[in-house]
This record gives sequence, structure tokens and C-alpha cells, in this order.
Amino acid sequence: MLRRTATVAAAVLALAGFWELYRWVWTTANWGWPFHVDNTSMPHLWTIFEAFGQPTQVNQPALATILFHKSLFTGKEALVGFAIGALVGFAIGIVLAHSRLLQRGFLPYIVASQTVPILAIAPMVVVWVNPKLPGPLQGWGAVAVIASYLTFFPVTINTLRGLRSADPRALELMRTYAASRWTVLWKLRVPASLPYVFAALKLAATASVVGAIIGELPSGLQDGLGGAIINFNQYYSFEPQELWATNVVAALLGIVFFVCVVVAEKLVVRRAPENVA
Amino acid sequence: MKRIGEWVPALVVFAVVIAAWEGAISAFHIQQFLLPRPSDIVKTFWTARHSLWPAGWYTFKEALGGFAIGSGLGIVFATLVGRFKNVGTAVMPIAIAANAVPIIAFAPIFGAWFGEVSPHSKMAIAAVLCFLPVMVNTLRGLQSASPRQIELMRSYAASELEIWRRVRVPTALPFVFTALKVASVLAMIGAIVGEYFGGAFNALGVLINNGAQIFDFVTAWAGILVASLLGLALYGAVAGAERLVVRWAPDMRDA
Repeated sequence: MLRRTATVAAAVLALAGFWELYRWVWTTANWGWPFHVDNTSMPHLWTIFEAFGQPTQVNQPALATILFHKSLFTGKEALVGFAIGALVGFAIGIVLAHSRLLQRGFLPYIVASQTVPILAIAPMVVVWVNPKLPGPLQGWGAVAVIASYLTFFPVTINTLRGLRSADPRALELMRTYAASRWTVLWKLRVPASLPYVFAALKLAATASVVGAIIGELPSGLQDGLGGAIINFNQYYSFEPQELWATNVVAALLGIVFFVCVVVAEKLVVRRAPENVA
Repeated sequence: MKRIGEWVPALVVFAVVIAAWEGAISAFHIQQFLLPRPSDIVKTFWTARHSLWPAGWYTFKEALGGFAIGSGLGIVFATLVGRFKNVGTAVMPIAIAANAVPIIAFAPIFGAWFGEVSPHSKMAIAAVLCFLPVMVNTLRGLQSASPRQIELMRSYAASELEIWRRVRVPTALPFVFTALKVASVLAMIGAIVGEYFGGAFNALGVLINNGAQIFDFVTAWAGILVASLLGLALYGAVAGAERLVVRWAPDMRDA
């Protein structure tokens, strides 16, 4: 644990050092490739960190406070989207695993569904979903649905693979005991699938945060990180550090989601899968 | 090759879904701006071909450029890092953590770096999106070679290069192709998201976005159709290459 923390700290320090070194080399040599480096394109790290402590407008709380609340909002959307997507994905995986016919009929479209640019359909999803939602879910509920769209896919694919990965000898044994399909599913196939499912949940954790941020962009929601990104992007030439600070928070949110799934996996799965994708 | 018969269920599902979609719109009088008819989308796909198809091609080139750069760098980097076992194990957790970062949030910054309207900023986003999964999977593939096979090669006095070529690369290839398929989809999405923050007037993402903003959802959907078809084409090309190159891993075929 201590060693892990030390590695992470070393990696973060190395990245920070690389950032400032890159800045210094490119500005002193005045290189324009791949892009021009100045205080706008790559603000000093301390400028970004100072921005956290300062208010964006007069008489407003510090940026850190604002971003904290915005990340809670986006986190809520992502968490609900993650839960919906994971459950739906797992259910689809179980259904498809039991029928070769359904697999052939639907799997191509499940794969194809991910080539649909979610950002493009997000405004339409908001228009459909919002009127059907009860008051407290207004606005962010539609974004959670968008997040679940990105979440379900890896879970479905890996559940399917995982359920198939059950040891054939164990399957034979279950059959000789005349175990029902249901018993085989819950006692053998689902436990066998767990390492695969968790590998997918790790991908899904990040995907749900991505989905929540993307979903906020066209829906005009101002309460989350997506809204903050649009907002601060408009002032980028004056206050680049505010967009950078927002992105640092977005990155942390993604990593927090990921780490939560990793911890859950450690608690649930003792057996390591061979191909953690 | 899959037999034709295996595609029948998929075609049946397609026909049923399209018929239900058309039927539901007529039966429930769903307004055009909420959900256009598939037949109208296809009609627009054809009538607006002079603006839609070139826009699709423009965005596809951005995605393709990003895919090539990102995946190429991912494979090269993983190959270099994979040469040294310790470096590989040290880099892995960092790469995985970086993979958990929502890169899409950085799209506006790439706009500021490479020009908001310029196609280069979209290529850059697509490249970063493709780089991480390809790098992580290639590294994992190179590391997953069976130690017994390597022992055997060593006992035959095979050189490191030969072990690399005959054991490590063949083991890694299924992993690489799995990642390339993921990356092919990400590249197209990255290009379109990049265009959301500003793009050339004839770019697909801009076209879809403008259509949605003026409630011209038929054009938006026709644009989405173009984007999906191009995404599928890139995915299909990678999957086709995988079938040609990787003939020994039948269980990787399904997903």
C-alpha cells in the first residue's frame, strides 16, 4: 500500500516536472510545433493551482468550492447512469448467453450501437426523456440515461464472454447432478463471469463519467462539469487556468470512479482473470 | 467466413425494428421533430448527399488520421516499453489510471492548442483517445507470452529478436486487434465531439449539431447515420484485417 502510494506520487511529480520542462524548452527555443507554447496554451502549474483558491467572479465562492459542487452533480449523473447501464448490460448478457439465435439477431446491433456518436443524439434524448421524468429528476435524469448508453456495452460483451468461460468439466458435473438451468447460471456461470464483469465495470466507470460530461454539453445544464467546461472554454484566452482546473477535477472524478470499482473487485473477486481488458 | 444463414436473425431483427419504428410513428402520431421516420432519414441521406457525404468524408479523414497516429504511437511505445520488463510493470498502473481520465473533457484545450476550426485539433483528440487503450493492450499482449514457450525457444538458442517475432508478437496480436477495434470506434466519436467545440462549416459534427439546434432532426439523424456507417466501415476494416492476420484465436471473433 505504502509502495503503491509512493509510485503514484512519483508518477504525478514526474508528470508535473515534464510539464514545466516541456514549457521551458519550447518557450526558450520558441518552437511552434506541434503548437505554440505560452501562458495561455500551457499555463504554469502553480497558476492552475492558484485558480482553485480564487473566485471566478466577484462575491462568489472560490473555484474549488464551485467545482466541488459541480463534480458532485456530474458524479450523481454518472453514478445513476453507471448503475442503470451495468444492470441492463448484465441482464442483456445473461439473456443473450442463453440463446444462440438472439445472439445472432442482436449482437451485431449492440456492437453497432457504439458507433453512434452519443453527443449527436444527446439533444434528442434530452427532448424525449425530460418530459417523462418526475420533477426531482428533471434535467439530470436524461444525462444519466445518456451515461448508461455508454456503460452498458462493455458490460454486455464481457458478461457474455464470462458466462461462456465456465469450466466445461464443472458444467458436465452440474448436468450429471441434473442441476436446473437456473442453478447452473447462479452457482457456476455467474461466479465464473465475475472477473470478466469487473474488467468491464472498470471500463464502464470511466465511460459513465465521459457520458455524463458529454450529455451535459448539449443539454444546457449549468450545474455540472460539462456546463463548466463550455462556460470556461468561452473565456479560455483570458483565464485558461479555469478550464484547466475544471479538467483536473474531471480527471480526478474519472479516477475516483475507477478506483471505487477496483476496490469493489478486490473485495468480490479473488481469482484474477487472464485478460483484464 | 460466416455462412449467410448466420446473418438471417440479424436481418429479421433489422426489418422488425424498422417496421415497428415506422408503425409507431404513424400509430402514435409522434411529431417529426421528436423522432423522424426511418424512410425520411434515408430520403434525407440521399437528397442531402451533396452536403452530408463530403462532410462525412471530411470528418472521417480527421478520425482516420487520429486513429493512425494514436494507434501507431501506442504500438510503438508499448513495444519500446515492453522490451524492459521493469519499465513495463511500472508504466502499466500509470497508463491504466490515465485511461480512467475522461479525455473528452480536454477537447476544448486541443482546440486552443491546434486551432479551434482546424482538423488537426480533432485528429489530436482522436489520437489521444486511441493511444491509451492500444498502448495498454499491446503491452499486456507482449507480457502475456507463455514463459514455457520462451523457455523452449531459449533452449533452442533462439535470439531475442526471434523470440519476439515468433512468440511475443503472435501472442500480442489478438490483444492489439481487440484494442484497435475499440480505437476505431473511439476515433470517429472523438472527431465528432471535437467538432462540437468548433469545426469547419462542412464538417459532419457541425452539420449534426446545427441540425439539432434548429430542430431539423431529420438532417441530424441523417448525419448520425453517415457517422455510424463510417464508424462501422472503419471497425469492419480492422475486423477484416484481424481475420486475415490472426487465424489462431477463434474465441476473439465474437466481440
